[in-house]
Amino acid sequence: MEQPSPSRRQFLIAVGNLASASWIAVNWPQIASAAEHGHHGDGAGHASLTRLTVPQAAEVDAIMNLIVPGGAKPGARDAQVLYFIDNALGSFFAAQWPEFELGLAEFQSAFAAHTGSATPFSAAPEAQQVEWLHEVDETPFFLAIRRLTVLGLIALPKYGGNHEYKGWDLIGVENRHFWTSPFGFYDRDYPGFVPYPGTQPFTA
Amino acid sequence: MERKTFPTSETVDFIVVGSGSAGGIVARELALAGHSVVIMEQGPRLDAWEFEHDELKYRHLSGITNNPATNPQTFRRDESEVAVRRNSMTYARVVGGSSSHFNANFWRLHEIDFIERSVLGPIEGADLVDWPITYAELEPYYCKVEWEVGVSGLAGASPFASFHSRPYPMPHLPIKSSGVLFERGARALGLHPFPSPMAINSTVYRGRPACVQCGLCGGFACEVKAKNSSVWTVIPEAEESGNCEVRSNSYVFQIGMNDAGRATGVHYFDGDRVEQFQHARAVVVCANGSETPKLLLNSATNAQPTGLANSSDMVGRNLMLNKGGGAQARFEEPLNEYKGANVTMMLHDFYNSDPARGFYGGGGFTARSGGPLTWGQNVPEGTPTWGPEFKDYLESYTHWMNCAGHGTSLAQPTNRIDIDPDLKDDWGVSAMRVTYKDHPDDMKHAQFMVDRAVEIMDAAGAVQIVPSEVGPANGGVHLLGTCRMGDDPTTSVIDKYHRTHDVTNLFLCDGSSLPTSTRGQPTHTIEALAFRAAEHINRFAAANEI
Repeated sequence: MEQPSPSRRQFLIAVGNLASASWIAVNWPQIASAAEHGHHGDGAGHASLTRLTVPQAAEVDAIMNLIVPGGAKPGARDAQVLYFIDNALGSFFAAQWPEFELGLAEFQSAFAAHTGSATPFSAAPEAQQVEWLHEVDETPFFLAIRRLTVLGLIALPKYGGNHEYKGWDLIGVENRHFWTSPFGFYDRDYPGFVPYPGTQPFTA
Repeated sequence: MERKTFPTSETVDFIVVGSGSAGGIVARELALAGHSVVIMEQGPRLDAWEFEHDELKYRHLSGITNNPATNPQTFRRDESEVAVRRNSMTYARVVGGSSSHFNANFWRLHEIDFIERSVLGPIEGADLVDWPITYAELEPYYCKVEWEVGVSGLAGASPFASFHSRPYPMPHLPIKSSGVLFERGARALGLHPFPSPMAINSTVYRGRPACVQCGLCGGFACEVKAKNSSVWTVIPEAEESGNCEVRSNSYVFQIGMNDAGRATGVHYFDGDRVEQFQHARAVVVCANGSETPKLLLNSATNAQPTGLANSSDMVGRNLMLNKGGGAQARFEEPLNEYKGANVTMMLHDFYNSDPARGFYGGGGFTARSGGPLTWGQNVPEGTPTWGPEFKDYLESYTHWMNCAGHGTSLAQPTNRIDIDPDLKDDWGVSAMRVTYKDHPDDMKHAQFMVDRAVEIMDAAGAVQIVPSEVGPANGGVHLLGTCRMGDDPTTSVIDKYHRTHDVTNLFLCDGSSLPTSTRGQPTHTIEALAFRAAEHINRFAAANEI
């Protein structure tokens, strides 16, 4: 059986083609939002940011919140996907961190050039954010952060995201490890296998 | 039980390189016959409780598979290209080998598989050959696998199956929603779906429990020992004989040879990466279809400068991967495919290659599930990749299933494993270079399978169908054909008893032994070959013919 394209390679491709750009370091209004997440290490039982700076985290948080928004069902922010991304880029995807950081900087500078303003993406009005993501949603950086967002939504909570299994709540997966039939709607009334004429199934 | 160990200075009767589907069986059979055996395994030995329901770890981070960071490979489409660093061959690196993480979908081959060249004639651009054995010769060993390792299923249910002399020892697993829908669609088209044989216990069997239907088979090792991996089945029985040691974290990189042209043992790195040598009277390599040729080619000597047992120049050639194609389908109500064994229903109506189609190829279809983490990465064309509609798509996860086609790949001598001239792994061992390009018939057959899968899912009442894209192979997990068996030493590497034509006391048995690609599910056949090979090796040993 053929295997799907290696996921890690896809990630490398997704983050590997960006030109470098300078990071616009300003005190963004949305930092407070990311900082709130980033300070969960002080007693709430959550990890703190280890790889992303608070300004970087604010931008990543804003992007992932548009990829899987909140609402009636949990979104990326509810599942604390930011911590997964931070943890991944600081550990098992650490080799991709330089490219990711460059990609984020490129994303920022391009957004600033587009708006003609120093206001960071995370502080921009949502309509402007959405418009900009439509502009860049085929770029390797966006594909990488999208990929990380989905991974962080569904991977086990021990990796930082899928907080309280909210990602599994979203996709309808129950947190159990054994089951009995029926499993779904269509096998509830399955009458059993009916042999074909001319065949003679035999059992032990 | 105290496990037997052998000092490296002791000359054991047999070293078995690899602890997977074939290695475990060969070791058990040799040990039960009274021979001293050391199984060398690259990876660690893990107990059931050490495996996790962790899709990220096992399917995305090389949790128990060869790690591209430490075991790199290179890849190219043909010899005109410069190979680039990329791991295309995937296999488990743990005691139990790839039998630890397989889906456990266990098909027997059909009689036609062994005689296709005679029936179909030559195929341009390919090296299609008959096997040196027949289905009838292998049939008793299929039974042995089914009863001694454990397979659940319903023998005789498929009108297309070749004869079974015994039933399966366990009834088939419960049919899940994907199986019911697959059966509904296929029967509506006049096809003949049947409950899938699986190397998973449906009842308590040989002291191991029945499946708990956790849903995580492919890519995962079984945490309750219901999936019949060698680490839970034959390896403990080999150890209980008192004649077998499993030496984990032991990476064999070269076969030792003497001036008489006989194997003397194996060079390996132990868990501390210290080089060791284990002496043996004979060596059986069961390392998989990529590592076995790599080991032979890395074991070249002055007398055999192009690689061990390679006088035919066939070591590493004819790599086959099992080309396939299928469709993903969404249904109105939830299926909950994350529950239950990955495959419960299949069909073999398109098994045989039909010249009327205009190309070579055949295979089977299964109703198949996969983990949500992997599913969530792929978005159907036309569905937004982010935003509220993407979220809606994620919410539909429990409504999807796969109709998967598993098919043939033609043997081509240009598709091969050889040694990269520059790249080395973390141990300093020369890495494998993979050259692979699909035969045109493989591409046509893959599209044929996609089209049939779409028809089956449409007939089943799917509300959305996403055909898979047919593209060039990027790699595989079924690694076949690279040391093919045959009667002619000028065109094959091993004889029909798995002895290399060139080295009397060197045997090979794994996916590399297969002359053809087995239509998608090779493990049952590899295990049957292992029982057969071991029987003959024991016979040779008893006759002092090794």
